[in-house]
Amino acid sequence: MIEHRPRRILLVDDDANLLVVLSEQLRDDGYDVATARDGQEALRRLDGGWPDLILLDLMMPRIDGLALAREIKAYADLPIIVLSAIDTADSKAHLLDEVAEDYVSKPYHYPELRARIERVLRRLGDRIPRQSLVLGPNLTLDLHRRSATVAGTEVQLTPTESRLLHTLAANLGEIVTTETLLARSWADTEEADASYVWVSMRRLRQKVEIDPGKPVHLLTVRGVGYRLVAGRDDA
Amino acid sequence: MTPEREPAERDTPAELETPADGSAAGPSDTSPATGRRRLGLDMPFRVLLTLGLIVAAVLPLAVFGIVVIAAGWESDERAVTSLLALAVAGAAFFGLLAAYVVASALTAPLRRITSAVERVAAGEPSPPIHLAGDDELARLAESHNRIAADVQRRNAELAGLLVAIAAYAPSQGVDPLVAESERDARQIFGLIDCRVTLGRADSVAVEERIPGDPCPVRAEIRAGAETLGVLTGHVPATRNWEHADQDLLELFVSEVGVALRNAELFGQIESQNAQLRELDEAKDEFLRGVSHNLQTPLTSIRAYVEQLRSTTTDPETDRRLAIVAEQSGRLTRLVRQLLTVTRLEAGVLHAEPEVIAMAPRVRRAWEALNATGATLDLTDDARGWLAVADPDQLDQVLWALLDNAVKYGGREGKVEVAVRAGDTVDRISVTIVDHGPGVSEADRERLFARFTRGADQPSGEGTGLGLYLSRRLLRAMGGELLLEEAGAGRGAAFTLSLPGEPPADEG
Repeated sequence: MIEHRPRRILLVDDDANLLVVLSEQLRDDGYDVATARDGQEALRRLDGGWPDLILLDLMMPRIDGLALAREIKAYADLPIIVLSAIDTADSKAHLLDEVAEDYVSKPYHYPELRARIERVLRRLGDRIPRQSLVLGPNLTLDLHRRSATVAGTEVQLTPTESRLLHTLAANLGEIVTTETLLARSWADTEEADASYVWVSMRRLRQKVEIDPGKPVHLLTVRGVGYRLVAGRDDA
Repeated sequence: MTPEREPAERDTPAELETPADGSAAGPSDTSPATGRRRLGLDMPFRVLLTLGLIVAAVLPLAVFGIVVIAAGWESDERAVTSLLALAVAGAAFFGLLAAYVVASALTAPLRRITSAVERVAAGEPSPPIHLAGDDELARLAESHNRIAADVQRRNAELAGLLVAIAAYAPSQGVDPLVAESERDARQIFGLIDCRVTLGRADSVAVEERIPGDPCPVRAEIRAGAETLGVLTGHVPATRNWEHADQDLLELFVSEVGVALRNAELFGQIESQNAQLRELDEAKDEFLRGVSHNLQTPLTSIRAYVEQLRSTTTDPETDRRLAIVAEQSGRLTRLVRQLLTVTRLEAGVLHAEPEVIAMAPRVRRAWEALNATGATLDLTDDARGWLAVADPDQLDQVLWALLDNAVKYGGREGKVEVAVRAGDTVDRISVTIVDHGPGVSEADRERLFARFTRGADQPSGEGTGLGLYLSRRLLRAMGGELLLEEAGAGRGAAFTLSLPGEPPADEG
């Protein structure tokens, strides 16, 4: 990495104990950490400069946590990792999709949290607009909603599939290596290897291509990686 | 012409509404006696009948007598004979003609009344028949008119009643239904006023009928054997309220009773549902609160322990911290398990299937358990294969199964795990075998039920939810969990299976 300044993280949590220990752990790992006890303080901190990433504790019973995430997102389109006592299986977890890049359920395992932070930071450059990406008459991606519209039918994408497409879409038309896709879509602690990318891409084609055997959008570049292309008239 | 068709063809309503108008007579009605005014015989029926008999019987006799007398004056025998024959023929003809005229005049109004009554009987509308005078036929026509009008009115009432009760929906609620039934009763039965009083029927006093005043009507509203209330009202003084009217009202009111009862039950179910929904919401909120309140301190504990362990150099301190870490990890898994069960039963659990290499996941789950004293013997015969499962949920399954294997594994403490693929197409299976006493026949049946443990297991251990939850989670992910047949020299053996992806090489 060319840039050597430490990555800045804003940590928002109402639990003072956790704020102390987690910020220490993060500082030990070389991050520049600012903390905030609540939403107001978080927004004030944002006035003084934007971090690279926000780590936000979200207690779902109080919907204001989600409102805060939305407010932050509207004010500064920064990647947010939600730290939450709820997990992905909760009925309200899908509400997080629109605001959070990732979420880690409490109690977290620190190495895992750090791996997730790293994965999000690796994807910092991959910004695509938070709106529909029309790739052809038969494929439209709405990655902020983790969905794709294939020949008029909406299909739901898994978080990993969404990250894969996000990375490919950020480099639309260009080759993205398997290694890059692996690093951007899986955390280090997941011990994923290239076969995860291969199999996931195969599954992804089943979802978004009309004829997975003759893909028009998700193309393999043998021995290198993959390309996402806007299809010509593939109707 | 059949008798049924004849009236319809002969008596068009236009003709009947203007019976006094001779020009409107039907084409086949050649008889001069459709109405007595047309014939000019404006006499009572009895007088006319008498006259008819006289004309038919006496007149020919008189003519015959005159002829015989006239014949007496002449003595020419031949002439007499022929004159007599002529006279007899003439008398017979005249008598027949007269009889026909009289019979026609008599039976025409009877025919009209008959066909009108037939129409009433067939349920068709029958316009009133107007016959002048005050004789039997006129009274018969009058009766017909009244019956026809009553039948028509009641038909209309019945139709209105059917339309009204068809529109009653239980979802309307009791009060709107009461208001609507009052409005309908007024409209259908032509009541001046109407009131539905719910409660005991005797709570509304029975009203006496006073001649000249509006006539009170009343019907009890019942649903089955239970009295729900009473409908009371008044009909105008000018109208008769007969048995048939009361019967119709009772019919209406019985339907109202059913509708009210349904509305009552519907309301009860609705409010119970609302209550249940509230309770469910409250329970969810409570669980989220509990999980937050349990997990927040656990998060701090784990974070501090991790931090302390990374800095300590004293092996004894590290050992103790490891115990704290293990126990808080255990508590964390327990809280998660309870939350998952609740969500599963609420039907709000959903899986996000991702691809996962099974053997490394098993190893990680084993490490997370921190099972001191037990060893893992992992065989991976599915290299390159990836399972398709929700990572968090798969972890919960592996924790539960490995934890059981350690807990019930006996002294030897070795847990054997074999990962296989392709037994059947595109499936990955994991068999977990311990060296404990195994599962008794009695326990095999109930093993996957909620809150069950092996009969001879101490009750303090575990939640009794592990296998139940694991099987449910796996099935929701398109997998299965089975207890293998007991084999010689080994304890319990569970096999989980999941959808799998064969190796791919696109790089």
